[in-house]
Amino acid sequence: MAILSSLWQSRLYGLEILRSLLERSQLEVAEGTLYPILSRLKSEGLLQSEWVEAEAGHPRKYYWLTAAGRRRAREMAETWNKFAASLAALVEPVLGGKQR
Amino acid sequence: MSTSAQTADNGIETYLARLDAALAGVALPEKDEILREIRAHVLDSVADSTDRDAAVDRVLRLLGAPEQLAERYGTECQLTRASGSFSPWLLLRTSWRWARLGMIGTIAFVLGLLGYSLALGLTITLLLKPVMPSRVGLWLGSGNLFLGVPANRAGMHEVLGQWFVPVVALVAFATAIGTTSALRWLMRKRPRNPAYQVSQTTV
Repeated sequence: MAILSSLWQSRLYGLEILRSLLERSQLEVAEGTLYPILSRLKSEGLLQSEWVEAEAGHPRKYYWLTAAGRRRAREMAETWNKFAASLAALVEPVLGGKQR
Repeated sequence: MSTSAQTADNGIETYLARLDAALAGVALPEKDEILREIRAHVLDSVADSTDRDAAVDRVLRLLGAPEQLAERYGTECQLTRASGSFSPWLLLRTSWRWARLGMIGTIAFVLGLLGYSLALGLTITLLLKPVMPSRVGLWLGSGNLFLGVPANRAGMHEVLGQWFVPVVALVAFATAIGTTSALRWLMRKRPRNPAYQVSQTTV
């Protein structure tokens, strides 16, 4: 879900996905985990990719969401929101008690 | 400086050669893509660093051993393939690989092993029935049910009679289908579960 969400606004390459997850949500994804997941999401048709020549001297593989990927990201975000809301309701008395 | 760059680049080449060897089972175009992408990742990660040697060391360590990385690619790719398959052998083999990566995989493997063993056991008793028609059966005695060939039949009687073959065949078939569907469901459902995704990606 985090990976799909990171591609919601623009196309990114692997290292940019890692950095954006870390900057935007302190989510630290291991390099060795990210690339196999990207490869699977692509084979499931949720992502599309393209090699783009960069001034760095070597091409970079950019990923973006397909229509199915956008649908899946939205579904997952909705599920996540419900899950987060029910947990928030669960911990609410705990935090309330702390203040007193 | 040039010797340092050379050492660092040797490190990258050695890593990629090991990854290449470990990805032996992956189709060639896909393998090339993986190697190019990992190379680009390493080069991009070390681009701004002053100590190139240390930076290369660090990023290669973060990627994990090449064999482990290849294993992850293999498992991800096999899970996608298996989730669309009806082959018990492929499903069981895949869940065994998956089990090494976490809890859900372990549950899937244990479920698959139990389900398919049960179906296999039932099929074996079914095949033995024509060979030993009077001894194979579903036996009831002193409150216990026993399927197969009891060592001591004293005080036991067979319950199913002529229904033995159709009933056991149906149960064996249902068990096999149920196990297959459950494994496929677990494998397909896996990326949709946000809580699982987070636990997998958060360090």
